[in-house]
Amino acid sequence: MAQETWKNYRENKYFKPSPLKGIRVLEACTILLGPAGPAFLGAMGAEVIKCELPPTGDTVRQMVPFGHSFRDQAPAAVHINTNKYWLGLDLHKPEAQKIFCELAAKSDIVEDNMRPGVMEKWNVGYRQLKEINPSIIYISKNGFGQWGQYAEENRPSNDGAAQAFSGYAWMSSFPGRPPLKSRLYVCDTYGALMGEMAVLAALHYRARTGKGQYIELSQTENIMRTMSWIWPYQQITGKVAMPTGNRDVSICPADTFRCADDTFVAIAAPAPEEFKGLCTAMGKPELAEDPRFKDHLTRLKEKNATALLEIIAAWVRTKRPEEVEESAERHGFAASRVYSSKDVVEDAHFRERGFMTKIDDPVLGPYVEYEFPVMMSESPPKVKWSLRPVGFDNEYIMKYRLGKSEDEIKELYRCGILGKWADIQGCRPPPQWDGKAGIIMARD
Amino acid sequence: MKQQSWSDWVRERDDPRIAHTKREALDDITVLDLSYKSFAGCQCSSLLAEFGAEVLRIEPPEGDFLRICTPYGMLYKGEGLNYITEGRNKFHITLDLSRPEGRKILKGLVTQVDVLIETYRPGTMDEWGIGYEQLKEINPRLIFASITGYGQFGPMSQSQMPDYDNIAQARSGIQSGTGEVMPEDKSYNECPWAVPTKAGPWIAWSVAGTFVAVGILAALYWRGITGEGQALDVASGEAYARLDDYAALWYYDTGIISERFGNLDVCAFLYCFAPTKDGAVFLGGLRLEMWQAFADMVGKWDEWDAASWTSLAPFMQKEEQLKWAPLIFEETRKYTNEELVRMSIEYAQKGRLAPITPVVAPVCSPEEAMKDANWLDRGIFIPTQDPVYGELIVAQAQHKMTESPIRTKWVCRPVGYDNEHIYLKYLGWGPSKLKELKQKGII
Repeated sequence: MAQETWKNYRENKYFKPSPLKGIRVLEACTILLGPAGPAFLGAMGAEVIKCELPPTGDTVRQMVPFGHSFRDQAPAAVHINTNKYWLGLDLHKPEAQKIFCELAAKSDIVEDNMRPGVMEKWNVGYRQLKEINPSIIYISKNGFGQWGQYAEENRPSNDGAAQAFSGYAWMSSFPGRPPLKSRLYVCDTYGALMGEMAVLAALHYRARTGKGQYIELSQTENIMRTMSWIWPYQQITGKVAMPTGNRDVSICPADTFRCADDTFVAIAAPAPEEFKGLCTAMGKPELAEDPRFKDHLTRLKEKNATALLEIIAAWVRTKRPEEVEESAERHGFAASRVYSSKDVVEDAHFRERGFMTKIDDPVLGPYVEYEFPVMMSESPPKVKWSLRPVGFDNEYIMKYRLGKSEDEIKELYRCGILGKWADIQGCRPPPQWDGKAGIIMARD
Repeated sequence: MKQQSWSDWVRERDDPRIAHTKREALDDITVLDLSYKSFAGCQCSSLLAEFGAEVLRIEPPEGDFLRICTPYGMLYKGEGLNYITEGRNKFHITLDLSRPEGRKILKGLVTQVDVLIETYRPGTMDEWGIGYEQLKEINPRLIFASITGYGQFGPMSQSQMPDYDNIAQARSGIQSGTGEVMPEDKSYNECPWAVPTKAGPWIAWSVAGTFVAVGILAALYWRGITGEGQALDVASGEAYARLDDYAALWYYDTGIISERFGNLDVCAFLYCFAPTKDGAVFLGGLRLEMWQAFADMVGKWDEWDAASWTSLAPFMQKEEQLKWAPLIFEETRKYTNEELVRMSIEYAQKGRLAPITPVVAPVCSPEEAMKDANWLDRGIFIPTQDPVYGELIVAQAQHKMTESPIRTKWVCRPVGYDNEHIYLKYLGWGPSKLKELKQKGII
């Protein structure tokens, strides 16, 4: 708890530095797996320069739930691209590749999520950049990594492919039903997070040795890591691991139950005192002594688990979800309503912690966003702004970071090296934009 | 001289099979992992240990309850299967923190470490006199990371409820939007599977543990600049929710709640699981040309008039998705998974829109995944030869690095297995002192 440490954290965090101050990241990424990683670093205070192909930019700009855009922007693009500077650079052209190299020379980290060899074809692969900047840390994230059969077949991939290939979807469905795809692009965003684990470890290594390095991450391989018991279980038993719906096969009881009002609540009560609490709450304290349920390993056995979960299900069917939550609080087991996106946005606790936060963005206007979920007492991460139209910060980056003259910048536009947005929804500014707000270098 | 191909060049440097010949990124860092009943804590310290940090895992004398959180109650050589996968590279010692003498010993270790990870209910460590504010007095460089269900502050932080993966999944807003759609005129009693559905694996715990590990590395970087330690606070439900995408903004802007949409996708097209002759495949094509390539690949270019499509936007509408799904499935049902995968690879070479091609991936069982030659070649399932548990397969090598790669040295250790070594190394205590502590039940 450490009361003093966390006092007024939400109010004070903007008065404190961010942990990755002084780190610069150069991003050539699209959709989610690529861009989410630099956004995590950006939230922790790194300066992120995102390169997009003008004039349409990142494909994520067209990801709109059932066609709904937010002030002409794709909600997916807004969420995944926090705290970045936006460069419209046509990497197909040699002059643009040269600019990318100039930026790489001044960067600590480069990230891409192309298929293997594409960046090298554009003369900005790791082998080329390390000649310019030997201490560069370079990460490539994609479906299949840089070598092996699937990489060599040059297969395209994305989140759903990784959910399918890994067995993750198989394990996340109900028995007898087809494997189920998560609504969450989990292999993308978790892949991106794990990528930053390696990037930051490499940064630590660089601080000790001065050496940069190349990192590759396959989102399919990465999600397999979360499937813990499944692999040794299959090795030891020779059997295929099977899905069990909402029931957790390693924790008993732990499942999602239907309430009296046809909403859902999750419950977990495996430890002895938690289980006793649940039995008492259900008015059946004798269950804790029942030989079928007497200890955790016994409860976990298929027959016993099924019997116990049926008893709990019958109890929950008579309760409203708040009643189950209150009961859990009183008796020391865990319960939570299955939150909808509305519940998450409106949750008082999330807001009080600043996890669900309001952004006042000069280009996008006000909107809600999830804060970076690691609260740090001395160097708090913070989300400040997000999506910009394609090429929005060209002048700022060219001038502030590369020291280009007005004439040089003009020439880069003339040759199509630099570019700005197409007049297409998702690429262009919001209709409410006044033509000036958010522009850093030249507003007139 | 012809330059070596990119893939050969990388493999020569980052194949997991040569990882042990390289230096380790974090072998100057020492971590105390006090986590209890938390896979998030165990995975967090595993990630640090894979990079070479020396992790001292502290359990109460009877062992962590997580050791018996194992599928169907199955034990292997006395160990639960989840614990065994995330015990890797760690030294396991015992210490009873509920007793003053145990806490005194902990302080002796705290002065010698860089990072502490704990998962007790907020306030517990403070009551024990070993909270952040107390420990920073004896080690101002300490990075003190807490993982709990609801965090160290905010109204719910005083909750008595423990932190479990399925609770965090429920809290995240993600479970509610995942699952099969209730067929028309059916009820929950008839279709108990058409409900909000959580992910099978302990994903919320994994995500929370990984966020903490990332935060710890950022804090180490910060300490490198300032010399200061700090406290970190992660709530597992928040960590998992943070990976969610469009749903919060969509609700904020329109009031629409993202509902279950089965194996189609609310926010992407072409993006679904499609049934085949022998199972199902994932189909993906987030650019118009990839959707056109799919239509062409299954011979529907003309009939569907794919040449006239100018944007994916109209296809993202709910009604359009529901209209197109059966048409797509009718085609995919004509082929096996393998045939569709091959068609996609060949289309990339010879198709009208080549090299553009739709993403096609087989929906695999984890058994198929574990036997797939591609992942075996990539070193994901290399069995670890563990001195205690023998040859065991745990997923590893999730990232590959040319200079300071991760590696799995052993998978796990029994309770208190490293007491002798660690107490000697850190506190200079030999067998007679340990015997005394053991008799008192402190270790």
